[in-house]
Amino acid sequence: MIDYRARFRINLAIALCGLAVFAIVPFVANSGLVFLAGLVAINIVFGLCWNFLFSGAGLLSFGHAMFFAAGAYGMAVVSLRMPELPFFLGLAFGSACGALIAMIFGYIALRRASGVYFAVLTLAFSELIHIYITKTTFLGRNDGLVGIPRPTIDLGPWVLDLTSATSYYYFIIVAMTIAAFALWCFQNSPAGRLIQAIRQDPLRTAFLGAGIRGWQLTAFVVSGTIAAFCGAVMVPFTQIASPEIAVWTVSTQPILFTLLGGAGHFWGPAVGAILFGAIAYGTRAMQGLSDITVSVLLLTVVLLIPGGLLGLWQRRRRKAGGRQPGQAGDDARPGTAAGKVEARQ
Amino acid sequence: MAYKMNRRGIVKGIAASTLAVPFINLRAATAQSGPIPIGVVTPLSGPVQLIGNFVRHGAEIGAAHVNDNGGINGRPIELVFRDSKANPNDASVAARELVGSGTNLQLGTISSAVALAMGPLLESEGGVVITTGAGTEKINHENYNPHVFRVGDSPVSRNAGLVRHIVESRPDLRKWGGIIPDHEYGRTTWKIFEATMRKAVPEMTGEEAEIAEPILVPYGSGDYRNYIAQAMRMDVQGIYTSVYGGDAVTLYQQAKPFGLFDKIDVLLDSANEFLVATAMGDQTPAHWSGFHWYYEANKGNPLSDDLYAKYVEATGDTYPMGWAAEAHAAVLAYAGAIEKAGSTETDDVIAGLKGLRFDSATGERHIRAEDNQAVKNAELAYIEPSSTAPAGFEVTDYVSLDGEKVVEPARPGQMLDTSNL
Amino acid sequence: MYDVGMTVFNGLAWAMATFLVAAGLTLIFGILHILNFAHGGFFMIGAYVSYTVMIALGGALPLWLYLIGAMVAGVVVGLLGWAVDMLVFRRLRDVDDAYSLIATYALLLLCGGVVQLIWGLNYLGVMPPPVLNSVIFLGDMFMPTYTIFIILCGVLVYVGLELFIAKSQTGRLIRVVAADPWMAQLLGLNVKRIYLFTVILSFALAGLAGGLLMPNQSLSPELGGIFLLQAFGVIILGGMGSIRGAFLAAIVLGLIESFGVYFFPQYPGIFFLLALAIILLIKPEGIMGREQTA
Repeated sequence: MIDYRARFRINLAIALCGLAVFAIVPFVANSGLVFLAGLVAINIVFGLCWNFLFSGAGLLSFGHAMFFAAGAYGMAVVSLRMPELPFFLGLAFGSACGALIAMIFGYIALRRASGVYFAVLTLAFSELIHIYITKTTFLGRNDGLVGIPRPTIDLGPWVLDLTSATSYYYFIIVAMTIAAFALWCFQNSPAGRLIQAIRQDPLRTAFLGAGIRGWQLTAFVVSGTIAAFCGAVMVPFTQIASPEIAVWTVSTQPILFTLLGGAGHFWGPAVGAILFGAIAYGTRAMQGLSDITVSVLLLTVVLLIPGGLLGLWQRRRRKAGGRQPGQAGDDARPGTAAGKVEARQ
Repeated sequence: MAYKMNRRGIVKGIAASTLAVPFINLRAATAQSGPIPIGVVTPLSGPVQLIGNFVRHGAEIGAAHVNDNGGINGRPIELVFRDSKANPNDASVAARELVGSGTNLQLGTISSAVALAMGPLLESEGGVVITTGAGTEKINHENYNPHVFRVGDSPVSRNAGLVRHIVESRPDLRKWGGIIPDHEYGRTTWKIFEATMRKAVPEMTGEEAEIAEPILVPYGSGDYRNYIAQAMRMDVQGIYTSVYGGDAVTLYQQAKPFGLFDKIDVLLDSANEFLVATAMGDQTPAHWSGFHWYYEANKGNPLSDDLYAKYVEATGDTYPMGWAAEAHAAVLAYAGAIEKAGSTETDDVIAGLKGLRFDSATGERHIRAEDNQAVKNAELAYIEPSSTAPAGFEVTDYVSLDGEKVVEPARPGQMLDTSNL
Repeated sequence: MYDVGMTVFNGLAWAMATFLVAAGLTLIFGILHILNFAHGGFFMIGAYVSYTVMIALGGALPLWLYLIGAMVAGVVVGLLGWAVDMLVFRRLRDVDDAYSLIATYALLLLCGGVVQLIWGLNYLGVMPPPVLNSVIFLGDMFMPTYTIFIILCGVLVYVGLELFIAKSQTGRLIRVVAADPWMAQLLGLNVKRIYLFTVILSFALAGLAGGLLMPNQSLSPELGGIFLLQAFGVIILGGMGSIRGAFLAAIVLGLIESFGVYFFPQYPGIFFLLALAIILLIKPEGIMGREQTA
């Protein structure tokens, strides 16, 4: 029997601790690092929603850049072309763009849901979206949309001024904490558990009366919407939406975060995203080595510690003295990719 | 336990405080003495590093030149390099981080999207950037921002110069076509080419130019044969192309057996400098190429000779390309502006750069105060295959055109108007 | 007539160049069920190796030396394939598909980095041997001999692979292992060795393709990615690792791309992706359906 209430409290605590740590950054770091931390916070949720699809629903997407870009461009279009609309409507519109794309392409791609086919189809769709953006004058073609303003939000008695990079940074980390925790709640809701059950044993779940395609599509849309939300939140921060965020290498980012951190853990991608941010910062003045660094690191992780950093940490802890009761109880959900890897070793 | 100090704890503490060093805001530390930091944010990894390397060497040689001559008001320049990964997000992180640690003067942008992202960013953070090869016309037109300068050619001066020279030297050519990348850059260059051609040909000859629809080719494709077949159908005497880098090499390689280049009289290449020729050697089709800086055209200019000699010494490569000179000029522009303003503060340096006249490897440049665009010579060279030259090609003709005659009028904040080129 | 002929001819050139790259890819995909991202990277290494051979022998080469250069590239990359199987693929056999996909993606990045370290960033280009550097006129159509040569190479590699898989002893073993590795193991086949052989063959094909297509392309560390998406599309549309499927899919996509550019020149480069999406919508299982490996 799993104590969901205890899990809920623990994960809420993890999310709030993360929020607290990110909240300290502007007090100790210069504005470049604050900016990087804001991008890392967005990347964390980008990674989490990808891993929800991967470890939760068993779908490998190689096209998450299209959702991210859809959200970013949706937000950019609203704030540049319709500045009278409220900020939150822009966020909602951006997320809705992602949801719509996920619905259409998910419907097509899931006709061939088996892993690698699905992956390549999402890659092709993502490339189509990229080409569409570079050819649409309304979306600024190759140069992108620049000069996106940061909002001032009117909350009745209070006015929330997010025009400075630092105040917008705080908005980002709060929004990302809420998104991350909402995703956790969904993954652990009855619907989320059903999606995981499909991943583990589609046949048996189908016997129980669940429509597999429908639930997989649901997972795809949820993941796409959150990825689009990440893109929409990012755009006022960077003040630019350029086609570079729709290139397929962006789709590999959440995959790298997840594998590095550990796919078998809900917070694995968060660890990976933070580590990646640190690597990007560490190699910022290096010449011509970043490709080799990243590839060697990835190969090492995939071949030697397929459970990712959290998997490694957990295995060591278990060796060191058994599981401590009641702590981080959901770390090793069986049936997730890492669990599968470990079980086979 | 928490109070017990042990060796490991101390080591951890030292490690933590070393790690914290970059986190501390250094803006207060930029004093009125000591070295002046200048940030170079340019691609240091990935395929575009090819261009980033020219920028790096050019900036280093420029800084060495200033420092050897006593620095700026006695203070040496110190370059701080950051990898932009040719991506607006990574470049933004780097630019903000540099401003945050007191390096408000920056250069090295080579991609248009990055250049456009820098304006609003540096305006809110307090910094300046000099782009060293970004090709978009928007930075001195509709997206003009006082914090972004361009010391190199505007796309207008480059392409209008190319057209005017060809029309003057070959007035017999009326029928033109184009092969351009399906990209913002391609469209801009074509727009300028077409407008200038339609104006220059009647001025010279009294007859109208016949210009065919341009052929759009995709980026990064391995196969251009269908586009070459389209080009073969065009009834033209000259072809203009702004296809770039590896794509241009692939295009030329595949076009050669079709005989495309034998069919036409002149091939105009907007910007490849020696990129195509060094790749293709004696198979290079004869063509005119626009240059940021061609050292032979500036022989006798001590800055140019110094840049060339030091570049060859540092790399062993005898074909430096123009980005090196743009980065070199950017450093010299900063030196001139800081000297003029007597300060390294952002607003003072902006004021110093506006209207600045300074010497560079391409002779004197003048930065227009209205739109932050430099007026400089437009240089072109005619590259031909050669059986005797060791590299397989040689430059048989070159010109350097007066910048004032080819640059567009300053119209900051407005779209480029091709009717008055 | 001229237009249709040229468009078909150019479409076939696209198709056979893509098939040359996709042939090795579909082999590994059909038998090891790994979608090898790094294939493009090793194709690129093949091109660079044969470039080096060509330069070492003094530039413009007669046809037979050019072919030897391509063979050398095939052998070198085949040996790299042996190393990759030992170090990487062997360890990926029991893990989720996603992990192998990502490991091969990392290998692709590594290939780009290594090429940059060894050969640098400059664009390099070579012309085909003099024999192949001419044009044949057919009516008012002009067909570069090098393009004809590439089309012939594609057909030859296809026929050779089909015969090898269908008729040879090793080919039969490969088919058995592809169909049911577990049963093959029980029957006493050395499945590991057959896997190793497949990987080496696939990599050698990538190297050979690199060597043959080198005069077609500018060489730069970006080359690894250029054919990759095209080749992926071809093997997905072809169906599960079917060589015949990949061959047909390459021709179909090549002709669509070619006619697309002819009729809608203002939208270059998107017909391949559109066609891929639409065909899969109509026929999700691909051209050769469920049939396994040739």
